[in-house]
Amino acid sequence: MDLYVAAFGFGLVGMSVIAIAAVGFTMQFGITNMINLAYGEVMISSAYVAYYLNKAGITIWVGMIAGAVFGAVFSFLLNRVVYAPFLRRGTSHIGMVIVSLAVSLMVANLLLPIVGYYSVSYQDTTGGLIRAGGIVLTTNQIAIIGVAVVLMLLIHGLLRYTRLGKAMRATAANPTLARNCGIPTGRVIDAVWLITGALCGLAGVVAAMNSDSFAIANGAGFLITALAAAVLGGAGQPYGAMIGAVIIGMVTELSAAAWSPEYKEVVAFGILVLVMVLRPQGLLAKRGALAAAG
Amino acid sequence: MNTYYATNLLVYAGVDIIACLALNMQFGVSGIVNFSFIVFQAVGAYTAAVLSLPPDSANGGFQIYFGGYQLPFPIPWIGGAAAGGLLSIPVGLVVLRRLRSDYQAIALLVLSIITNAVITNARPLLNGAAGLALVPPPFSDQIDPNTETYQFLYVGLTAICVVIVFVLVNRIVESPYGRTLRAMRERELAAMAIGKNPVQLKMTVFIVGGVIAGLSGAILVGFIQLWAPSVWLYPETIILFAAVIVGGRGNNIGAILGALLVPVGFEEVTRFIPTTIGPPGLIPALQWVAIGLLIIGFLWFRPEGVRPEPRHVFEGAAVREETG
Repeated sequence: MDLYVAAFGFGLVGMSVIAIAAVGFTMQFGITNMINLAYGEVMISSAYVAYYLNKAGITIWVGMIAGAVFGAVFSFLLNRVVYAPFLRRGTSHIGMVIVSLAVSLMVANLLLPIVGYYSVSYQDTTGGLIRAGGIVLTTNQIAIIGVAVVLMLLIHGLLRYTRLGKAMRATAANPTLARNCGIPTGRVIDAVWLITGALCGLAGVVAAMNSDSFAIANGAGFLITALAAAVLGGAGQPYGAMIGAVIIGMVTELSAAAWSPEYKEVVAFGILVLVMVLRPQGLLAKRGALAAAG
Repeated sequence: MNTYYATNLLVYAGVDIIACLALNMQFGVSGIVNFSFIVFQAVGAYTAAVLSLPPDSANGGFQIYFGGYQLPFPIPWIGGAAAGGLLSIPVGLVVLRRLRSDYQAIALLVLSIITNAVITNARPLLNGAAGLALVPPPFSDQIDPNTETYQFLYVGLTAICVVIVFVLVNRIVESPYGRTLRAMRERELAAMAIGKNPVQLKMTVFIVGGVIAGLSGAILVGFIQLWAPSVWLYPETIILFAAVIVGGRGNNIGAILGALLVPVGFEEVTRFIPTTIGPPGLIPALQWVAIGLLIIGFLWFRPEGVRPEPRHVFEGAAVREETG
């Protein structure tokens, strides 16, 4: 029983990490209508940016901010240089998926000779242990939960109470109508890539902190968990992604306690398959996966 | 030129051609973005391996796997093809029925990554990350596999399969049925409106493609005699996609050309680059970067590929236009 209580604690951390990644992924998809399969590779690249700063003796919290900035700039450039030109040409959804997969392959393999094949980990004190009724977490893990909660509140505030958030929601709902209403959709989409890129970069650093070690090969796993949470909640729905993250994070950690940590991603995939069979539109979405691609 | 080098090249070319023809039928003609294609090749290879291997207590029991039936030649290949088809049924039923086309693609991609992770971690099933080795090649009890005669025999067997697959795929693609598939690819709603059932069409193409993919895996494993998770990672599917895109989507001759240019050509060209340049793993990594560039470059500059899909025009209409 103690094992499951401890796993519940890890689940809280896991869901925080997944929430940051999944909200970024789902907002990218919801507003720009682009399934960015290079998301996991951008995450891992940002984790490496923080790693090199950390190796130079800079604290991981600064590295986290650097990772977020890197992720934002990288995602922004990715859209400007590769995705946007293809979209302007009217490339189909499927064409864009293939393009983003090719980008993902290129990013991973450009990185490989630079960072090497071997797993690395951050050189930082993990902080003291905090115990609360069987749950044992490090202060770093508590801080990750805190970061995630603050970010979710910020996203909520952005979408609900700011002009930019309103413009984002309008662009997501109907880009042509939004443009006709005088919303500069081009600039809104730039902002979306910056914001979601920052979330992506930050999620990469946090995910790397939460695992013992990481390597390039982890990019695919990061993508799968973010994808599973986003699809479970209803793709394109930030609040859905938060709910999805809570479920995926908790279930994978509990399954790791009950079964084997090697199969965490398999469990996430199992949930993904169940959602696709039983409720392809996800928990919250009205359209989601069922609508015909344009 | 060394005989072994030549036969090796020919068998690989044959396997890649078979795979590209199947993928072209699924992706080029029918518009199904099968990102888990390599899984169907892998299941064919594993099936052929366990059908032809002796029980796992042989060879001192250094590897563990289920099965081990020691069956004679055509059965492992037929079994591999059948396994590819059988696996296509549940996967197709989950993925192809209700999901939007881009969701289908990502579901299949995730399936490919996860299947590989499961087989790598679950050692008792198919010997985990180490994979299966010493798979007996066909007829190895009658002819020594290390002779030149055998090498040419294998090339011949592969060639026969290439011809069979080419005739089969060509029949499907060039028939009224193929026209229906293209109609579905271009506009699914319109195809439905004239009474075509896209789910049924996609399932059929998915299963036939799975059978062919399974066969290609069986041929490959008989030749290289080993099969491990590291040879069917998901980027291998991307190479085949690059081949079909470069060759020309929807064109069978283009698929063959793509198979010769991309998977075969790349392997052969990079063979001549010394691997001592730069940090370890630089050349293979750059090879993948080049594959990515090739896909993006072709999609941007020449999306129709080297051999574009022939335009099927109703000739009567053209004649009337000229006279009128």
